[in-house]
Amino acid sequence: MLRNALARLTDIRLVFAAVVALGIAAEFASRSTIQIWSFVLINILIAQSINVLTGIAGQISLGHAGFMSIGAYGSAVLMKSLGLPLPLSIASAALLSAAVGWALSFAVGRVREFYLAMMTLGFGMIVYEIVREWTGLTGGVMGMRGVPSPALGTLEVFGIKIGDAGYFRLMLAVTVIVLWLLRNFITSPYGRAFFAIQASEVAAGSIGIARASTKRSAYMLSAALIGLAGGFYAHLVGYLGPETFDLNRSVEALVMAIVGGLGTLSGPILGAVLFTYLPEKLQFFADYQFMAYGLILLVSFVLLPRGLAGLVLPRTHYIKRLSADSSGNSDSRDAAATQNVSEDRNRNNNGSAPLLRVENLAISFLGLRALDGVSLEVRSGQILGLVGPNGSGKSTLVNVVCGIYRADAGRVTFDGSDITGLSDDRVARRGIIRTFQDPRLVPGFTVRENVLLGAHRRYRQNAFAAAINQRSALREEQAMLAEADRIIDSVGLTAHANSIARDLPYGDKRMTELARVLLARPRILLLDEPAAGLSEGEIAKLGQVLRAAKQQGIAVVLIEHHMEFLNDLVDEVIVLDAGQMIYRGDMRGMYTSAPVIDAYLGRQGQDAPAVAGSEHHA
Amino acid sequence: MNFTLQLVFAGVCVGSTYALIAMGLSLTFWTTRTMNFGQGSLLMVGAVAATTLITAKLPPALAVVAGTLLTAVLMIVVERIAIRPLIKSGESMGWVVSTLGFGLFLQGFVAKFFGSQAIVFPSLMFNSQDFVKILGIQVSAQYLAVLALSVALMVAMELFLRRSRWGRAVRAVSHDAEVAALAGIPVRRIVVLSFAASGLLAGLAGIMVSQITGTVEPQFGFNLIILGFVAAVFGGMGSIVGALIGGIALGIAEKLAGGFISTAFGDAMAFAILMVILAIRPQGLFGQREVVKV
Repeated sequence: MLRNALARLTDIRLVFAAVVALGIAAEFASRSTIQIWSFVLINILIAQSINVLTGIAGQISLGHAGFMSIGAYGSAVLMKSLGLPLPLSIASAALLSAAVGWALSFAVGRVREFYLAMMTLGFGMIVYEIVREWTGLTGGVMGMRGVPSPALGTLEVFGIKIGDAGYFRLMLAVTVIVLWLLRNFITSPYGRAFFAIQASEVAAGSIGIARASTKRSAYMLSAALIGLAGGFYAHLVGYLGPETFDLNRSVEALVMAIVGGLGTLSGPILGAVLFTYLPEKLQFFADYQFMAYGLILLVSFVLLPRGLAGLVLPRTHYIKRLSADSSGNSDSRDAAATQNVSEDRNRNNNGSAPLLRVENLAISFLGLRALDGVSLEVRSGQILGLVGPNGSGKSTLVNVVCGIYRADAGRVTFDGSDITGLSDDRVARRGIIRTFQDPRLVPGFTVRENVLLGAHRRYRQNAFAAAINQRSALREEQAMLAEADRIIDSVGLTAHANSIARDLPYGDKRMTELARVLLARPRILLLDEPAAGLSEGEIAKLGQVLRAAKQQGIAVVLIEHHMEFLNDLVDEVIVLDAGQMIYRGDMRGMYTSAPVIDAYLGRQGQDAPAVAGSEHHA
Repeated sequence: MNFTLQLVFAGVCVGSTYALIAMGLSLTFWTTRTMNFGQGSLLMVGAVAATTLITAKLPPALAVVAGTLLTAVLMIVVERIAIRPLIKSGESMGWVVSTLGFGLFLQGFVAKFFGSQAIVFPSLMFNSQDFVKILGIQVSAQYLAVLALSVALMVAMELFLRRSRWGRAVRAVSHDAEVAALAGIPVRRIVVLSFAASGLLAGLAGIMVSQITGTVEPQFGFNLIILGFVAAVFGGMGSIVGALIGGIALGIAEKLAGGFISTAFGDAMAFAILMVILAIRPQGLFGQREVVKV
């Protein structure tokens, strides 16, 4: 009941009415009230900044005050010494902060994430030190006085003097617009890619999401948001001192976002309101503020993993709620997309050139040869079984083809072009799509949202169109959604389309992953033990889906131990042992091939009593 | 020339404490692939505890032992409440935040109940005015003692890891915890041991750094953990020798930058070094590239 009542609070009309009411009320509120309201707005931007980075993209910053400092001093200096008008100075400061965020995140993808966390901690301290030392620019420890602000009565926008209420309304309008853009962005393929990176970078790469550039854009966006907050802060207070942007400020940012609820838009707003008023109203809290923040950070992930928003608010959706009128045109668009794909296929259907060709692939790990000169070809519309004992190199082969491992020697060509050494997301974007032994879904997403991720490589909208909800972007989303629903139906998951992936039984998770790769419109599918852990019924469904894929000209490579499943499905089977191909041909021949029997039962001979013994029993 | 040599020498001594901090960070990284982001506060707690006990007329040696035991116990607590539950819940980066929270809590606690002002750290060995003449330069006896102790500790650590049963078990767990468990190694106990040892090193490092700086305050340590981390990365997050060389190189760079440019430049220097290492050789000078398991 409470949840339903609170759900109303996120109703767009109610929010709009509240914003207008606040704007009007500012006219009659006291100066100190407006001041607090203004701080709430700034804190909302700060908390959203952490939310974008940590809650959505799964990266951590422990030095966010550094970015805020850049935004604040940046805007103040630009206005004071260059005379830039307020909108320009704040916008440039936010951009400057974003640029620093981009520079700071250069090491993403090269090292473990916590290196970056440590770097951000250091970054916050360095900026703090620089601000203290660069007296000529920032005023050093004495601080910078006389920043044009409504409090001093010195703030003008295009010649019009701005008072407290006016400045609040300006900030309110900007914050609302920013939140609207953010909401649209999060519910677009770009936002979902952030979530995918957080859940599993390898899985994200396998559907064409570039990990480094995605993380880098998360840092940029996050830095821009808190830079904007810094700019607003500078002109709200009129005085800047280095202490304002110390470690405690970074920690406060984390606390607001985490307690409010990461990964949602409403959570950080709750957190910002709570932690703006708490020290104001509770002297006790103000006294023990930083010990309390420490404790909150220590326990919140365990006690309150989804924050206040997860506790009291309904689940956030990560797909745009599309109105009926935008669906009208979806069919034509959809048809166009289908046409694109059939053109795609025609390119390799003429002639019998293999779609994927692997030549003499070799790779070693710590001296162990995992692949030792493997060559094979796969044609469009062919189903190839890849069989072998554990550790024979099957998964390694898939990992090399998909760009996760770099081969020591050999070549991989796809559709006539050399793809050896391409990164995994580039390989995926060409249409080589794989699954993993364990399904790697975004745990907090629904089945439908997870499946929609598969379409990532097919989206054509740019980030700006996504953020302003351009009509073409909405139409594209609608078309993808319709196709996703069709595929979900074909794997038998329609009843679970709105279930959260985390709560699904294993078989349904695998089928969700299958639906996701199908929506990617692969040209070749590489499936790593897709039948493992599936029920009889689900295996039958899998076979059906793979045959349908074959019909459409998709090449399929199946790593499987389930021989019965392979028997009447594959066109050809390849057996690997110790990194070498020991058999290639049909399934029937495999069962009688001497090297294959050796590989599975151990070398036959005098020193293999176990096998010999079992033969006696037979 | 003399001035430069003096700076270099001071850098070597200070750097050896960075190496000690790096060592403490690496130990837990080996066994759990995590590290305590609030380690800086442990350095501070070790020093503050020792100071408090000495002021309460306890023999200095006992105070140092008590201080380091306290940090070792605190580190076991960190593992229990800030790391284990978060690794279990699968929150990939949650431990970064929770360990930082623990550090902040300690910092806030000390500031509230022991005062937020810097307190004088007593001279444990020698007087800060004692000097030895080496190669024609004046060398502080305290600095020398710190250097000798740090190096001795590092050597002892290296021997422990290579020679003793427990040390070998730590290395086995760091190589592959699952295989180690299958081989009958008590992985849980090894993990706890590594955290206790890390806390011990942190406490000792804290006491030695404050011996050099002469004072300790609640904020003390948060910069040091960055320096320790840079030293660890320099050495490739795994090698003790690497950490020692990394720490000393960092110490020298910091002192030279501080002496010839500005003291505020020291931290910026460390940060710049970190950026350069990550850009050129992210696996450190002595480390091997990690193989990603898929």
